[in-house]
Amino acid sequence: MLYGMGDKLRSATKGILIGACIALGVSAPAFADSNIAGKKVIFVPITMGISLTEGWARRMNQHADIYGYSVDIRDAAFNTGAMSELLAKAISEKPDVLVVHNPTVQLLSRQIKQAESEGIKVLQINLQSNQSSAAFVGANWERIGREIAEDIVAECGAGTGKSGKVAIIPGQLTAADSVMMNDAAFKVFEQHPEMEVVSNQASDWEPEKARQITATVLQQHPDLCAIFGHWDVHTIGAGKAVLDAGLDDQVLVYATGGGDDVACKAIEDKVLDRMWSYDADGQGRDAATMIDVLLQGGAAADGSMLIVESPMKIIKAGDAYDPDLCWKM
Amino acid sequence: MLEGVVNLMGGRRRVNVLEIVVIAVTLAMIVAFSFVIDGFATPGNFKVILSNSVSLVILSCGMGVVVISRGLDLSLIAVMVAGATIFSVQIDAGMPASLALLVTIGAMVLVGLINAWLIAYVEIPAMLATLASAMLVAGLCRFAILRGEFLVLLPQSNPAVMFFASDIVPGISVPVALMLATLFACWFLLHYSAAGRTLYAMGDNFQAARLSGLPVRTTTITIYIFAAFAALLAGLVTSSASGAVDFRTVTNGGLLFEVILAVVLGGIPLRGGRGGVRNILLGVALIAVMRNGMTLMNFTTQTQDVFKGLVLLLAVVTDNYLNPRDTETDTVGDL
Repeated sequence: MLYGMGDKLRSATKGILIGACIALGVSAPAFADSNIAGKKVIFVPITMGISLTEGWARRMNQHADIYGYSVDIRDAAFNTGAMSELLAKAISEKPDVLVVHNPTVQLLSRQIKQAESEGIKVLQINLQSNQSSAAFVGANWERIGREIAEDIVAECGAGTGKSGKVAIIPGQLTAADSVMMNDAAFKVFEQHPEMEVVSNQASDWEPEKARQITATVLQQHPDLCAIFGHWDVHTIGAGKAVLDAGLDDQVLVYATGGGDDVACKAIEDKVLDRMWSYDADGQGRDAATMIDVLLQGGAAADGSMLIVESPMKIIKAGDAYDPDLCWKM
Repeated sequence: MLEGVVNLMGGRRRVNVLEIVVIAVTLAMIVAFSFVIDGFATPGNFKVILSNSVSLVILSCGMGVVVISRGLDLSLIAVMVAGATIFSVQIDAGMPASLALLVTIGAMVLVGLINAWLIAYVEIPAMLATLASAMLVAGLCRFAILRGEFLVLLPQSNPAVMFFASDIVPGISVPVALMLATLFACWFLLHYSAAGRTLYAMGDNFQAARLSGLPVRTTTITIYIFAAFAALLAGLVTSSASGAVDFRTVTNGGLLFEVILAVVLGGIPLRGGRGGVRNILLGVALIAVMRNGMTLMNFTTQTQDVFKGLVLLLAVVTDNYLNPRDTETDTVGDL
């Protein structure tokens, strides 16, 4: 009898445990909801109105809708002065998470430090300042610069019969991505004496300036082998200059970017040849997930910066070209 | 002594001294760059200088005419980008290129009319009126037409891109032909039209021109519509060449600075009344040679800005020295 009671007790306990597990399982998202619903996130991008930031904002808003927190976007519209003011205003509003898109390594570092000291978790997206914070989601610029430089060496260096001449077109020489990509690329080129960087002039991110610089450089170096543009948008101007000069079969145009369908169209049009895409759409989802984690109190055990590196998609013209590697808003 | 000699000359002769200085500096730079930079003194490089200067020449024609009449059009770059945007959006929507161009011309003429109305009828200073309209036009285009987008990227299949990349006759590209047409229109407007003669009088002494019965208001309308039309042409040329319509051209302010620099350097004083097509060409030539040389020498854009700023400062000081302020200038006032 005792044995029978024990069985019943065991069955009842099992039932309670399974029921509790099911109940917990069902209520798990509700727990997450109640934990972060109503919290406030402020996103201060360099500008809205470009696929990169619009793609990020779309994913952030999707997560905000699911979990019930708010995402306010403060558009600096490429105005760094306005960006500092917007960030100061955002800090004064004491959001739970602040998402910052740094135009340079230095510009917002003091404000990021101030925000962190006031208990606001700062997520830096894609472009990192020299001030660390709670988290960073974005591309590994050192890796992109190194990989593109290595690819250029393979295409233009010793044994290829090419000139080894490269033109680099950064956005701004002090921009975080340009600084890191140039450092990494020059380290690679220095190991290959046959490589020569004939031009390293910033285009201020403008396609027309990039076109004019490229047209001039091509005139002086008609045997140019490759162009390394730091952003696909302005590099499209450089690619147009190569096309206009009728050198599209000789000069390889490399770019980096968020990898939306415009980039694939540029590759189809032979304006760009190779593209290291950090997949802005995927980045937006990573950033949104990181926001969820930060809002739930997530932090590195040793207090260091949480880092999520964006996976690369390398889109190349030719037989390997795959338009599915690009995303569409 | 130079001032004394210059003061003995007439107004036109005094301007010629500045022109001679600009020509000398341009030639000196050409000689210096030819010795220092490999590949500078080649026909190919001069062709690049020409093609890179097309939009600057067209914009400078628009600004030059305005400045001669003692005005200033700060909306020029906003109109340039807005025109290219309106045209591109219509093409993307499947509208025939000719109809899209007509609609765009209509829109830009309207902007020129609004500028002129604010200046001639509401009597707002040109600088403030065009600054306000620049903000209005750029903002309206970005948020009403592009829905917040900053850039319009044009595919190679865009009819404007294909048209502007072609040659009108062998050896002369469409942009270069349009530049020549704009220069001719500017020259004709300034020298062979009633509006041209009136705008010189307006620049020389606006109150005297108005009191003597010259049609200053209708001339102002002509001037600002011409400027808007030049800006539209420059916008189409630039966006087709670079494959993008980029609103940062408006916010960066660098191109507007270059246009004013070209006009002032060439010898059209900001107080108006003097100058012509020759001055526009001289100013653009100096900037284009300087920009090309600095690019070939691998100067950073910031360093280039420093040099351009120094040259503008030098030109303004030289202009002030060669054309000193007098009682009439003080009475009429500056911009």
